[in-house]
Amino acid sequence: MEQSVNYLGLIPLFPLMGAVLIGLLHVFTCNRTSVPEKIYGILACVGPVLSFVMALKVFVALKGLPEASRFLSHKAFTWFSVGDLHINMGFLADPLSCLMILFVTFIGSLIHIYSIGYMGGDKNYGKFFAYMNLFLGSMLVLVLGDGPLVMFVGWEGVGLCSYLLISFYSEDRANVLAGNKAFIVNRVGDLGFVLGMSFLFWAIGAHGFDYLSLKAHANDPAMTQGVLLTVCLLLFVGATGKSAQIPLYVWLPDAMAGPTPVSALIHAATMVTAGVYMVARFSFLYAGAELAGNIVAWVGILTALLAAIFGMFQEDIKKVLAYSTVSQLGYMFAGVGVAAYSAGIFHVFTHAFFKALLFLGAGSVIYALHHEQNIWKMGGLKAKMPKTYLTMIIGAFALAGCPPFSGFFSKDEILYSALATGHFGIWAVGVLVAGMTAYYTFRMIFVVFHGEPRDRHAYEHAKESPSVMTVPLIILAVGALFAGFLNLPGIFGGDQIVSHWLAPSLSEHHPHASVFVEILAIGASVIAFAIGFKIAYSKFGQGAPEPSYKGFADFAYHKFYVDELYDAVIVQPYKAIGSSIWKVIEPNVTDAPVKGVSKLYMVLGLAFKVFQVGYVRIYALYMVLGLSLMSLLLSQSFN
Amino acid sequence: MIHSYLYLSIVLFCLGIVGVVSRRNVFTVFMSIELMLNAANLAFVAFSRVHETMDGHVLAMMVMAVAAAEAALALAVVILLHKHKSKLDTNVFSLLKG
Amino acid sequence: MFEHVLSIIIFLPILAGLVLLASPASRTVARFTGLVISLATLVLSLDLYAGFQSTGHLEFVEKISWIPSLGITYFLGVDGISLFILMAGSVLLPLVYLIFGTKEKGYYANLLIVQGAMAGAVCAADMVLFYIFWEVMLLPVFFMLGLYGGTQRLPATLKITLYTIAGSLLMLAAIVYLGVSYHAQFNEWNFAMDKMAQLNLTGRIAALAFFGFMIAFAIKIPLFPFHTWLPDAYTEAPTAATFVLSAVMAKIGVYGVIRFVVPVFDIEFARFAIILAYSGVIGMMYCGLAAITQKDFKRMLAFSSASHMGVIALGVFCMNLQALTGSIYQIVAHATSTGVLFLFAGILEERTQTRTIEDLGGIAAKAPVFALFFAIAMLASVGLPGTSGFIGEFMIVLGAVKFNAVVGVLAGTTLIIGVCYMLWMFQRVFFEKPTVHSENFKDLTLVEGLAFLPVILLIIVMGIYPHPFLSKITPSTALQFTQPSPIVAQVPASNAQNFGLTIEQK
Repeated sequence: MEQSVNYLGLIPLFPLMGAVLIGLLHVFTCNRTSVPEKIYGILACVGPVLSFVMALKVFVALKGLPEASRFLSHKAFTWFSVGDLHINMGFLADPLSCLMILFVTFIGSLIHIYSIGYMGGDKNYGKFFAYMNLFLGSMLVLVLGDGPLVMFVGWEGVGLCSYLLISFYSEDRANVLAGNKAFIVNRVGDLGFVLGMSFLFWAIGAHGFDYLSLKAHANDPAMTQGVLLTVCLLLFVGATGKSAQIPLYVWLPDAMAGPTPVSALIHAATMVTAGVYMVARFSFLYAGAELAGNIVAWVGILTALLAAIFGMFQEDIKKVLAYSTVSQLGYMFAGVGVAAYSAGIFHVFTHAFFKALLFLGAGSVIYALHHEQNIWKMGGLKAKMPKTYLTMIIGAFALAGCPPFSGFFSKDEILYSALATGHFGIWAVGVLVAGMTAYYTFRMIFVVFHGEPRDRHAYEHAKESPSVMTVPLIILAVGALFAGFLNLPGIFGGDQIVSHWLAPSLSEHHPHASVFVEILAIGASVIAFAIGFKIAYSKFGQGAPEPSYKGFADFAYHKFYVDELYDAVIVQPYKAIGSSIWKVIEPNVTDAPVKGVSKLYMVLGLAFKVFQVGYVRIYALYMVLGLSLMSLLLSQSFN
Repeated sequence: MIHSYLYLSIVLFCLGIVGVVSRRNVFTVFMSIELMLNAANLAFVAFSRVHETMDGHVLAMMVMAVAAAEAALALAVVILLHKHKSKLDTNVFSLLKG
Repeated sequence: MFEHVLSIIIFLPILAGLVLLASPASRTVARFTGLVISLATLVLSLDLYAGFQSTGHLEFVEKISWIPSLGITYFLGVDGISLFILMAGSVLLPLVYLIFGTKEKGYYANLLIVQGAMAGAVCAADMVLFYIFWEVMLLPVFFMLGLYGGTQRLPATLKITLYTIAGSLLMLAAIVYLGVSYHAQFNEWNFAMDKMAQLNLTGRIAALAFFGFMIAFAIKIPLFPFHTWLPDAYTEAPTAATFVLSAVMAKIGVYGVIRFVVPVFDIEFARFAIILAYSGVIGMMYCGLAAITQKDFKRMLAFSSASHMGVIALGVFCMNLQALTGSIYQIVAHATSTGVLFLFAGILEERTQTRTIEDLGGIAAKAPVFALFFAIAMLASVGLPGTSGFIGEFMIVLGAVKFNAVVGVLAGTTLIIGVCYMLWMFQRVFFEKPTVHSENFKDLTLVEGLAFLPVILLIIVMGIYPHPFLSKITPSTALQFTQPSPIVAQVPASNAQNFGLTIEQK
């Protein structure tokens, strides 16, 4: 039995109202007066902070409820109701969504505060915060929605906002194209989502199309294995689009064209994790379709491998982090794919902290070097930017999976689950990727912060960022350091608090394997980290010149030419077909009957023209012939 | 008995048609039309004789009156045509050609 | 007076338009009259909407015997299905008078006449009356296109007029056939809709009559492959005419199928629904693909309009409650989004004197309010949740999936296809750097902004809170599916396939 609370609706409403307010203020003043940036900054941060406060309230309320009925729900109004299709605009706060909104609002608020400094001086300052608030509001709708359709509203909303924010520097065609790519690739995924929802509805949705009703009816006879598999796979297609897995990951690296806080919020901490959240949310479906889970896990881990390979050779600091995000998302899907839903979600949680930290730190570096993003033009910055350096090192250790940082515990949980459920292949690839992660992360750190500065001029002008930017970094670093202890496994003496918290929301069966397996998993992860770190240190620790890539390295540097492949196989043929339709097919094929009819009239007219000779005598002859024919016929009929 | 009159009437009518259709001079065309009218008159009178009524005679009178009026109009049209083109050849007047 | 509100809504604009044409009024007087009359019609329509009781049957009925010997009656009425088409026309047409101020008297007069005629076509419940209004609807468009259109207007005008009339001729033959059949079966002449639904039709001639109707409506909607008149007509027409064609007239084609074809030809409809559904889907993809390589943004919007109409038509052919309701809701959504986009295109054309996309750029920086409104309308057209375009599109895809899995999947691709050309156009026109043509682009004036504001708000309200609108539609659509003597086939088409998935048949 859930309790109905009205304030659930306020959580997404605050940022959405903020977005409308800021947006209108910007639209009506941007070409006339100029509003001081402070006002926009304050307006922008009010919404996220208030939402965070409300999220805490929800958390406290949930803690007070007994575990079996740990739900808070609120039906705001009937959205639409047609026949068997009853959809309410409703919100559901259960342990899973509560965890999500806590870190989404917390990290969102921090990033908004950071952006006040980072975006200073930009003439579209107000527009930026309007979009950011809109994004946060949509993400909260996504997470708090009580059914797949409400989630879809947030889902598309964050897609829209990522389009708007990626193409924020819209004067440059490349940035706008990157935004287009993101929206369109996302939409391909959304097609899968919509189809999955449709099949799900016709199977079991007549009793109510919200999570609680669907969960209750998940074992109805209408839900055969075929339908279940179809629904799970189609929904996963949606997730691959939003969370940048194979084959729809190509938008995320290009999305780095947006301002760095955008990358931190959207592409590290929140939006891309929507896909993982969705799979966890539908755990009651995936738990029954093991094949679907295996596909999810394999796609995830292969994506992790592919992205890690790319990350090892990138030269743009943001692109390294972008591929790192794709790779870590792959881990999360591997986790939820092997039915370790809480492990996947826990990695979402820790990843949010350390990836946001790394992106914001990278932003700090970029800001200090006046928008230089190429790591081969940096170097030796640790002396000039100590706070940034320290916090980024913490983030790097967390990402690479070094104990006792948070990333280690969450990643280890996933790998252990893979091993314990018998997915040896996934585990092995996962360990390999862990090593590669350590390598590329520290490659980046060493090249940027250690050794001699490669560009003296930029180095001279670099200085530490203002505190409005460094304070969020520090706060996030604390999270990256200690968040892991929230889910400490038994072998370390912990209680797995997060897993237990999440248990009512997920249809999960925790695997129980022997201590030996646990130690094997932990040991392999630590060794992989150590090897990766060592190689990175030996190659880059003392400062290294820019390498030139040949052979496989060059192939990986060019991301296996996948973007070019998509362009040649999908984009160009699409345009060619479109072009041929209106230039060739339309005039010659579909319009041919219509043109044919008008030509027919002309031809018939020409045929009849033969009889119009103009000579009266011939017309007289026609009259005679006609009359004789008529009289003949009449005389016949009188018989 | 009446057959010979009818045969004569038919022959005259056909001659008239042939004349209308194939002659180029406008006057000849009108003469052929008059011939057709008179052939019809002959047939009317012959039938009137067969049925022993006056209807055919009356109709023949009417036809003659109509023929006269029509001849007057036709000649007026011929004069106008001649004014227009200075020729009386029906082939010349072919503006209706498609 | 309010018993005859429908007659007033229909004939007031027509009479006003005719009077304007006959009188030597100036342009401003014509525009002002048009604005006043259309606002009066709007007020009446709103009153009608408020008084609408959603019983599911025809309301505000007027039935006067007109030609008793042939059973033709002056029979008007609205139900949930026609109400929204009527409202779309009434709400959106005043916008045109507010925005376009420098046109000829005949422009405004024709606009009035077409408004009345469209209202007549939508409210008519007698087949012959419907046919009359259907034909009358076309005349003002002919004049507007031919007199006030673009440079290539003459071939376009001829094509649309002759093509539509040819279709109407087939429809007339079918109507006559129906009248004769009714007479043969019930021994009286009657052309009223409710009586026609009781007809029992079999045989090959019935199928031919069905196609007679369907071809006429398919040309109007337009349904692939009868759409070839559309690109030229929409591009060369003056903006108001394109707006009227796209926002209202095309929908009357769909309405005609729902109102006249489905109840009467239920067996043939069930038999051929799968072909028609494929036609809709292929049309959507065909026009959507053609849209992406257009250089003229009005032509691109024309293809976009045709693409969306394909989806709306598909909703009708899927023969289930959700798809049909989605179709009707999408009709209004499409009118507000694509129709409004055409108006914006007209503004763009007027201010920059060009329709070529490459010549434009950077308008968002120059005119943020205009860009915001355009973006909202564009997102509604694309079907973003939170705008009016999502609800209908989702329900149509949902219904299509139930009807036939393949059709459903293909229908879903509208999500992708729609976005591709819209974003591509939006990016080049509004983002990037300003060009020579767009340097002095002025933002919307107060009048224009206030004129568009209600429609933009309507887009958002319809997306967030559609329930009050849907609750007026659902009684009528539910009626289509629950009549004991089936008004609509309750059995899905015999050749609809669900590939091995045991989806529950409702």
